[in-house]
Amino acid sequence: MPTSKIVPLGLFLLLAILLFNGLFSDPAHRDSPFIGREVPTFNLPDLMDREIKYQASTFNNHYTLLNVWGTWCLTCKVELPYLTRLSESGVRIVGLYYEQDSDPMFKSQTLPQVQADVTQTLIQLGNPFEFNIYDEYRDLSFDLGVTGAPESFLIDPNGVIVAHHVGDINDRVWQSVFAPHFLTNTSNRGD
Amino acid sequence: MILSELGHFALILSLFFAGMLSVVPMVGSYTNNQRWMGSAPTLAVGMFVFTLIAYAILTYGFVTDDFSLSYVANHSNSLLPLHYKVTAVWGGHEGSFLLWVLMFTLWTLGVALFSQGIPTLMLARVLSVLGLVACGFYLFMLWVSDPFLSLLPFFPVDGQDLNPLLQDFGMIIHPPMLYMGYVGFAVAFSFAIAALLSGKLDSAWARWSRPWALAAWGFLTVGLALGSWWAYYELGWGGWWFWDPSENAALMPWLAGTALIHSLAITEKRKIFKSWTVLLAICAFSLSLLGTFLIRSGVLVSVHTFASDPSRGLFILGMLVVVIGSSLLLYALRASSLKVEGRYGLISREVMLFGNNVLLSVSTLVVLVGTLLPLVHQQLGRGAISVGEPFFNQMFTLLIVPFALLVGIGPLTRWKSQAPAYLLRQMLYAGTIALAAALLLVLPQSHVSYLALLGFFLAFWVLVNTVEEVRLRVGKPFNTGKLTQLSLSHWGMVLGHIGFAILLTGIAMVSNYGVEKDVKLSPGESVELSGYRFAFEGVKGITGPNYRGNQGRIIVYRDNQKITELLPEKRQYNVQKSVMTEAGIDSNLWRDLFVALGEPLGENQWAVRIYYKPLVVWIWLGAAIMALGALCSICDKRYRVRADNKRAADIAHQATPSPALNKG
Amino acid sequence: MFRLLLMFFAFSVLTSFHVLAVEERYPLQTKQQQVWFQELTADLRCPKCQNQNIADSNATVSIDMKRKVHALLLEGKSKQEIVGYMKQRYGDFVYYQPPVNQTTIFLWLIPCLALIIAIWLFFSRRGEKVQSEIVDENVDHIDELLLSMDDDSTHQDNGDQGK
Repeated sequence: MPTSKIVPLGLFLLLAILLFNGLFSDPAHRDSPFIGREVPTFNLPDLMDREIKYQASTFNNHYTLLNVWGTWCLTCKVELPYLTRLSESGVRIVGLYYEQDSDPMFKSQTLPQVQADVTQTLIQLGNPFEFNIYDEYRDLSFDLGVTGAPESFLIDPNGVIVAHHVGDINDRVWQSVFAPHFLTNTSNRGD
Repeated sequence: MILSELGHFALILSLFFAGMLSVVPMVGSYTNNQRWMGSAPTLAVGMFVFTLIAYAILTYGFVTDDFSLSYVANHSNSLLPLHYKVTAVWGGHEGSFLLWVLMFTLWTLGVALFSQGIPTLMLARVLSVLGLVACGFYLFMLWVSDPFLSLLPFFPVDGQDLNPLLQDFGMIIHPPMLYMGYVGFAVAFSFAIAALLSGKLDSAWARWSRPWALAAWGFLTVGLALGSWWAYYELGWGGWWFWDPSENAALMPWLAGTALIHSLAITEKRKIFKSWTVLLAICAFSLSLLGTFLIRSGVLVSVHTFASDPSRGLFILGMLVVVIGSSLLLYALRASSLKVEGRYGLISREVMLFGNNVLLSVSTLVVLVGTLLPLVHQQLGRGAISVGEPFFNQMFTLLIVPFALLVGIGPLTRWKSQAPAYLLRQMLYAGTIALAAALLLVLPQSHVSYLALLGFFLAFWVLVNTVEEVRLRVGKPFNTGKLTQLSLSHWGMVLGHIGFAILLTGIAMVSNYGVEKDVKLSPGESVELSGYRFAFEGVKGITGPNYRGNQGRIIVYRDNQKITELLPEKRQYNVQKSVMTEAGIDSNLWRDLFVALGEPLGENQWAVRIYYKPLVVWIWLGAAIMALGALCSICDKRYRVRADNKRAADIAHQATPSPALNKG
Repeated sequence: MFRLLLMFFAFSVLTSFHVLAVEERYPLQTKQQQVWFQELTADLRCPKCQNQNIADSNATVSIDMKRKVHALLLEGKSKQEIVGYMKQRYGDFVYYQPPVNQTTIFLWLIPCLALIIAIWLFFSRRGEKVQSEIVDENVDHIDELLLSMDDDSTHQDNGDQGK
């Protein structure tokens, strides 16, 4: 039996191993290219008070969970109670309010309407946010590579993004994606 | 409840017949038990009948809105029009797999019924191999992909409706055609396996499996063309091919199948490349199975994958390993004893066909690697990448040039050896005509596109050479009566090649000279595109049987003459709430005018996308002609082996009983 | 000269129907920019969708990306700069043309190798030529049988073309 006739079988078995591995990984999973990078510069108003402006420096000196959300997003509502418990346990959470209108030039809601909506939702489901950044034209979201809501970034005290998750945060996600960074954080503080 | 149990019962009986079919005739073929071997066709009929019954039961469930069946509840709704209820049977994973298996048993039945000329031993083994593969399919359905899963005692009042994308005429015919092609390669595969088992890869097996391979290839061609056409008018973005994994999954067996039908021709006529042809037969069906795996397991991100379930993926993968792995092992063990190379010169039909096979195989490999590499990339921890249109277009543009050149001159080249002088003269002559014709097509256009020039040149090259070949065959003096003297299979080749030229022309034209415009339109405004004026009349609300939506009205003028009225729609389906775009298309042989309604932009203003697509219909027309070529070839009388020849063939086979050849 | 003719042609077509000035969705000044816009929206992938480019997708993020492509073109950015801009935010995934690295090189390497091996195999096989036709007696037997049933003119192929 010449070896060349075995080649197809060998190639196929390699392929089978690849496909077997593929079955147990999520094809839609994507690492954010922002891990290890600083938060991009921005200058955006507070959702409730346009006079207050925030810059990237707001993330200095704390571990901050930046949560991209909107009242129009159902999954965001699902994670609000869990996030509230997190914030009660001492995690600093900042909201990045993601407008839903596909073209920001044509608004379906005025700002006061959005504000009323947000206030009501947060009263109903809990308010985990220290404050909300109003990303009216989705500029910061775009610069962070956000594809939709909910999405969350963990930012370290130097303003560097250390973890990222697409979809809602629940206990499992928190423990696997974000909590490890907090452990190093507290031990650092203990030093 | 009763339906669910009847359905299961029918599937179990089918499995029983498949099991018997995979064992009894095979054992009979080794013990030389004529009765056992002779049972194969009957068992194949039984397998088909009970699968048909299972399929009919599921269809009945849809028609009678039996939402106690989980599959019906998930893919139908009482408001769904009747004809869509019937086609909704293949609107989801479980049902479409049942259809796939039904097609498979239909092919098996075909082999059982139309193989009078084939020796009993061979036929028994072929059907037995088919039965063995079918066993895997039935186990899959009964184990992890149950179309008859019952929701009792608690079932919904109404169903969740058929995916609106699938509520369409194209969807009625596209999957059955595609599946016929996919599973059709199983027949050529089984012939190859049976030939390997007997250790006799004579050109007889090529002769026997060639019409089946051609039929499968023809169906797959039609299926692919319908899929492309459907995506074109239904997805609303005017594209006819996107290199999506689901498309690639069907393209791979098609490319391998194209290589196979050519390779079978060489093996049949010249008794060479035998082990290569066997390998191709195994590959074509393996790629069909692989495509099924890719689409149904959810390992890849694609526009349409069925809801994924790891246990299903695991089962199909297991089946792939068993079926493909064992056949490749058999190939490794047996094919080596069959190396018989005939004599042929460097410039000969054999070499041309070999070149064609190499190019087609490399194209298959390009699609395979391009489809799977993102998976590897991610598994190696290098992050997600996309491999799409730019990559595939670039590779296929490179590969199609030598391929089309060979398609042109291949048929003009003699078997065994060809004097180069004649070929050179012919190439010069065809090249000049093709270049002149291509220039004539390109120069009047708005700009010169070299890619279009290349495409037209290749298309005319194929056309001129093909016509020349027919002219030569008919000989001088030319008269039309002589055309009928050419065999049907010869006409099949001619049609196949002309279809390819037409397809190529369509692709070159629409990709390089198609025009699109994205505009904001208010009622009363009009926009100019390629000599046509599109006047927007406004948008009105519409209500369909199971959807609501908006319908735009656009009147098209040319030279101030009204040509047509286009009514693009945006629909929202009541149950699934998804928004669908229905493009407004005016189509003729020379160009399509394509209008899609975008989103409202305030005060009566709408985003509208308008396309002018020259010769786009030629793409599907070319494919249809290619499929017609396959049909022609199948009808050739030399494949209708008469029953009285069978005895002779039987005797010939028995003269060399299989164990004798096992020594290799 | 040619361009002048073209402009004249365009002008005559435009004026012949008193067309109102229709607003383009993404108006751009130069032909080059328009070509780039079409290429970019066709080859940038919607990061949220299953498998769609941003031209065909109506997801919010695709519309944002289209607007961004448009804005960057107006700023005078080149096609490559815009691709880089998008990759920086959404990763290599966002562009349908894969980058060349140690893994992706196989996209080109494997087909090339296959081609080379096929050609090499072909010539090496031709070299060792025809040790055959002895093994094949049985096979020939049945082949002849088949050919005798066959009234196709396979073996007198190709008429007079060689002359």
